[in-house]
Amino acid sequence: MTHLPGGLREDGPDASEAPHIGLLTQVMTQTLDQDYAAVARRRDPQVPDPSPRWRIGALSVLLVFGLMLGVSALTTDQEQPLIAAERAELIEQIEAGQSKLADQQQQLAALSDEVARMQSRLAAELTDDRLLSNRLTALGVAAGTIGVTGPGVVVTVDDARYTGEESGGVVLDTDLQLLVNGLWEAGAEAVSIDDHRLTSLTSIRLAGEAITVDYRSLAPPYVIEATGDPDTMPARLLETRGGQFWLDLKTNYGVQFEIVAKSQVSIPADLRDHLLYAAPRRAT
Amino acid sequence: MIAAFGLALGVLAGLLMEPSIPEALAPYLPIAVVAAMDAVFGGLRAHLDGVFDDKVFVISFVSNVLIAATIVYLGDQLGVGGQLSTGVIVVLGIRIFSNVAAIRRHVFHA
Repeated sequence: MTHLPGGLREDGPDASEAPHIGLLTQVMTQTLDQDYAAVARRRDPQVPDPSPRWRIGALSVLLVFGLMLGVSALTTDQEQPLIAAERAELIEQIEAGQSKLADQQQQLAALSDEVARMQSRLAAELTDDRLLSNRLTALGVAAGTIGVTGPGVVVTVDDARYTGEESGGVVLDTDLQLLVNGLWEAGAEAVSIDDHRLTSLTSIRLAGEAITVDYRSLAPPYVIEATGDPDTMPARLLETRGGQFWLDLKTNYGVQFEIVAKSQVSIPADLRDHLLYAAPRRAT
Repeated sequence: MIAAFGLALGVLAGLLMEPSIPEALAPYLPIAVVAAMDAVFGGLRAHLDGVFDDKVFVISFVSNVLIAATIVYLGDQLGVGGQLSTGVIVVLGIRIFSNVAAIRRHVFHA
């Protein structure tokens, strides 16, 4: 509805409200059939009852009205138990649904509890797994079954160069063994000679004229790589018996002995990563 | 007096004989009863006003019942049966109230 200036409505007050007032007023005021008044006006006051037939009709109408009242009262009365039964059934259904809902909510709570428990167990297992795998890694590094990379030192040794008049010193297997032991003492975590990983099963031997590491012959110069603290390892190596021995060798026999600290050395895994004969003894 | 007797007889007959209403007409009985009440109270008021006429009473009763039932029937067919029932009952209820008020004025002179 559009409000125009001055409070006038577009369709005007008379057009919209007058008929409504009229209708309501009519309903409220003309409650009696106007026929009564019309017939009363027409009627001759001298004749008391012009139509006895209609008197009987009126009586039968009242009878019918009474019948209708009785029947509808009866019907309503009869329907009441049905309605009550339906209502009771609905209430029952609602209660059943509510109890089912409560059950399911309880189940849900139990299940979410279980989920939380399983999650915490999973987290614990994951932690265990991680610990286990860390331990496995550490053991693998120690056992030599895992290749490693990291800061360390590279020690290069070689036979003495020919100077012409005398034959210089030749690096022997025991020399290398001493050197490697010195490296272990100096804190090496993994050691390789010419890319052969040294493990507790690796041999360093002299076979004929060549040094073999793990039964593979090597030729000089020998490059020994070890992971460890590159700042302290060279000094610590020289303090060991192997380091002292090699300083002597260098001084007295002219063999080459060079220690270089590196920020990155790469040491392969020992290819033989299983035991041939030994089996772990089971604790009983 | 005779009228009240006829009414009571009808009620008793309805309660005791338990006449069965056809299933199709059952929904229109309540509205027919309300329409009949309007005619009956109108008749009673006319009687107290001194203008009662048997013929007018019979015709108004029958036409009231038939019109009310027909309106609701048509409403049911058109899908607005509930709303039309409400409308019919509002109008008839207002008339019944007014007539009863007039009757009350006659009986208690207040």
